[in-house]
Amino acid sequence: MTPSTPAPTEHENHAPLVRPDRADLTALLGAFCFFLSAIEYMIPKPLPFMRLGIANLPLLLATELLPLPWFLVLALVKVVGMSVISGSLFSYIALFSLMGTLVAALVMWSAKRIGGRFISSVGVSILGAVASNAAQVLLAKYVVFGDAARLIAPLFLGMGLVTGAVLGLFAERFAASSRWYARAAGRPDA
Amino acid sequence: MRDTDAARGRAGARRQARAARYDALFAPWMLAATGILLSLAFLFQPLLSVKAALLCVFLTAALASGKRVSLATTLFVTLGILAANLLVPLGRVLWRAGPLIITEGALREGIDKALTFEGLVYISKATIRPGLRLPGRFGSIVARAFMYYDRIVEYRGKLRPATLFEDADSFMLAIWEEAGAAVASGPEARQRRGVCGFVIAGLAVVAAYGALVLGMTAR
Repeated sequence: MTPSTPAPTEHENHAPLVRPDRADLTALLGAFCFFLSAIEYMIPKPLPFMRLGIANLPLLLATELLPLPWFLVLALVKVVGMSVISGSLFSYIALFSLMGTLVAALVMWSAKRIGGRFISSVGVSILGAVASNAAQVLLAKYVVFGDAARLIAPLFLGMGLVTGAVLGLFAERFAASSRWYARAAGRPDA
Repeated sequence: MRDTDAARGRAGARRQARAARYDALFAPWMLAATGILLSLAFLFQPLLSVKAALLCVFLTAALASGKRVSLATTLFVTLGILAANLLVPLGRVLWRAGPLIITEGALREGIDKALTFEGLVYISKATIRPGLRLPGRFGSIVARAFMYYDRIVEYRGKLRPATLFEDADSFMLAIWEEAGAAVASGPEARQRRGVCGFVIAGLAVVAAYGALVLGMTAR
């Protein structure tokens, strides 16, 4: 290689990168939400809407992959698809799911955009999980439990903290090493 | 153990047969529309006794649709909602035992919320079918997500704890590339259904709204 020949950049060592079709990526991430939701469905819980939130993992990964409009479409696909699979579309469960998912999505998206490199996936995930659970407790107060909802709040918020941290750790490690994630982000393979 | 597995298998087969009969009667879009109408009539039903009766009907319909129904979960959730509502006293005291006070208002509200919660769950179970296709661009994205979901469920690879991240990555790549290469299949062939489903769904809606009018006038 002569000095006049520019050294190949990282991109030139790989096949040309094409940013994936956003509708397709949204559908794929939505499908993973359905799958993780189906797994979560099998885990016993005291109330049907008290979820661990593992189905939010694709949303967490999507904070870097999708622009806001598509990110919100993903959140809606998750709610509608999960409600169709579980057959809860017309029930309060879908309302809890919608509320929790939209609040988590908006909080995670904002945290990622505002925090930039100063916030890790763990931080983004914890904020999303706690916000989602807080929104659901608030909704539970008006829909099913009345003022007694404050009794479940500490347990519910504590659960959000733990599951948020675990999901965040997984997302961080997965995003750092995944070839699929790199391709979906339009970057060269990790 | 083997007997338990065999019994589970037979129960599963019976549920599948019920689901097939149900789907032969009702088109998914018609059931969804019926579900919306029934939900509204149920939500605004003021009489607890009628609401309880409707809940039983919806539970039966959910069973007939081949959906898994757990009476233990229903009872557990109902008692949970009831207990939570009783914690905040409201109205006339019906019964008192030490610190425990059962009030009429809290009891009524608890029963109403529990019935509504469970009733809507069973309406959804009976009226939302996996074959439901939503209209528009959003509907097409949801449909594509279901296509990916089918591939995920059918995936034969393994996720081992020791190599979880590598396996998860291979899993994502395989699903994405396979689906990208696949030719999108055309719309599902329309199943011909008789008028029987229309009649049953229509009667259910008329009955639910009749009960709503009855409840409102009797109140």
